Amino acid sequence: MSTNNERDVILSIRHVDVSFDVGGKKKFKAVSDANFDIYRGETFALVGESGSGKTTLGRAAIRINPCSAGEILFNGERISGKISRQQDRNVIKNIQMIFQDPAASLNERATIEYCVSEGLYNFHLYENEEERIAKVDKALEDVGLLPEHKSRYPHEFSGGQRQRVGIARAMIMEPQFIIADEPISALDVSIRAQVLNLMNKLKKEKNLTYLFIAHDLSVVRFIADRIAVIHLGKIVEIAEAEDLFMHPVHPYTVSLLSAVPMPDPIIEKQRESIVYTKEEDDPNASPREMREIRPGHFVYANDEDMVAFEKRMQKLESFHAN
Amino acid sequence: MNYFKKHMFDKYSLDSTFGKAPLQESEPKDDPAAGISEDELFEFAEFDEKKSEIIAAPRYSYWKSVWKTFVSSKFTVAVSIFMILVVTFSFIYPTFFSDYDPMNPQYINDSTHRYLSPSLEHLFGTDDIGNEVFDVVWAGARNSLIVSLSATAINMVIGITIGAIWGFSKKMDKWMIEVYNIISNVPFLLLAMILSYILGNGFGPLIFTMTITDWIFVAYFIRTQVMIIRDREYNLASKCLGTRTWTMITKNILPYLISVIMTYISRQVPALVSYEVFLSYMGLGLGQQYASLGRAISQYTSYMRGYPHLFWIPVSILAIISISLYIVGQKLADAADPRTHR
Repeated sequence: MSTNNERDVILSIRHVDVSFDVGGKKKFKAVSDANFDIYRGETFALVGESGSGKTTLGRAAIRINPCSAGEILFNGERISGKISRQQDRNVIKNIQMIFQDPAASLNERATIEYCVSEGLYNFHLYENEEERIAKVDKALEDVGLLPEHKSRYPHEFSGGQRQRVGIARAMIMEPQFIIADEPISALDVSIRAQVLNLMNKLKKEKNLTYLFIAHDLSVVRFIADRIAVIHLGKIVEIAEAEDLFMHPVHPYTVSLLSAVPMPDPIIEKQRESIVYTKEEDDPNASPREMREIRPGHFVYANDEDMVAFEKRMQKLESFHAN
Repeated sequence: MNYFKKHMFDKYSLDSTFGKAPLQESEPKDDPAAGISEDELFEFAEFDEKKSEIIAAPRYSYWKSVWKTFVSSKFTVAVSIFMILVVTFSFIYPTFFSDYDPMNPQYINDSTHRYLSPSLEHLFGTDDIGNEVFDVVWAGARNSLIVSLSATAINMVIGITIGAIWGFSKKMDKWMIEVYNIISNVPFLLLAMILSYILGNGFGPLIFTMTITDWIFVAYFIRTQVMIIRDREYNLASKCLGTRTWTMITKNILPYLISVIMTYISRQVPALVSYEVFLSYMGLGLGQQYASLGRAISQYTSYMRGYPHLFWIPVSILAIISISLYIVGQKLADAADPRTHR
């Protein structure tokens, strides 16, 4: 579904379903028919409410949750389903994850030195002890921590510092692709910007690609190049970040954007939340799929929806043109 | 500003460096603080981001904190010293200082040496065949402790190893739980009787009897504990870093379980001391050639009314050993829990 074929696709999610067993033969489909590409060097954001399947999809990409249908390609190679051990190691080395809760995602009984070197130990990415320690020092320095923190334990750090340890631990593997699962949701508001800026700085320095999972739209607008909106396991709209904020066409996206709180109290008072209610599916309607309404702007629709979406699009375009 | 400065100086004759820098630039003549040397003035402090990252708290070391918490209670220290003395004594005295031999009752024909009450000469008195109860009790205590400590060690090593893997592997869990159900339904006394008939009465067979099924209860306990913390996010993070299962067990799981394992051991050691006593009491424990606290108690039970010291002294020694081991173990388990660290 890529329009600009000249861009290098790093991760390709192709018609992926993820389901979980819920007792007996019942299955719960957390993600259905997710289909998008992530280009090298971009920050791709996955936005949705709680329980929409955004974390599940992120975890499917790092092979924690198995796909029940479809496939995931990394650098053109299939990484979903059964793959060789060598390939598995390769995926682990090149795709890293930053977790939501820095307090829960660090081993409380290990020193920072061990936490950060864990990946180095597993892949033996060092020649000798001095090199390992030098690498750990460098990784800590990159995230603004001090070498003397090596012998400390995670509980001695603040939330922001812990999250930076989590980032250092991922970065030391020199990955190409990083899945950031709500990396700032558990942090104090005052240090969120610090962590976001750090992530942007590292992205530039190390030529990284991010899959940024979030529910906070203002953060996403700040950091993302492209945004996918996910609702009840289905991706409803994908567009360039500014494009999505200017021209939201799917009613769910419209509703989601209307729910963003405004920092200006006067505007905030006038803000109207638009509640999205899923319409009953007309059994005679043509099946919905991802369609390209404008170049690079995809929306989940059928023929009937497309007419309405096209109308809304034109209205928004003329509104912004004036 | 200027007026304010002057006023302030007149009124309170403040330290002359107050507000110096901006004044000097605008109107040097009016500066009341003129003629003050450079090093008396305020300087701009440089903001160093690195310095804000420094952690001022003293370095934390897990085992040092465990030790500090453990010795912080006087009661704990007293009981620990007492326990160490009792255990050391029960190993040293029968080995080096007593000539007690269960197979060779030296005073059996000396009727003046029987049923003596405790005195300075015969600390715990003497029994029906003229043996020193003091010697009998400590020799028995030593053997009970040897059996209990070795059985506990074997149980814990096998149980923790298997339990940790059991907790991790869903495939293994399916059939291990069946094995557990079968073993836990075998009547232990029956098994102990059969084993003692087949293997005879000695240290080896007794320890074997105590470990043949007991390890699975340790394993089951560890399995449950592992399952509780197995899916925590930091383990998921380790998995994402490619950490192997065994490294995960030793680095991520077991350090969290030190405290509960300590608690388990502190119950297991005295329980097995009592168990050895119980088995010997039933005649399934150590053979006649070994001194045993259990057999001593079982033999002296019949003199409970006529010569109560014969019965109560071994029972008290058993209680003292069991309770002090248990208390020290519990306190150690508490100290090993980092939530108690300060």
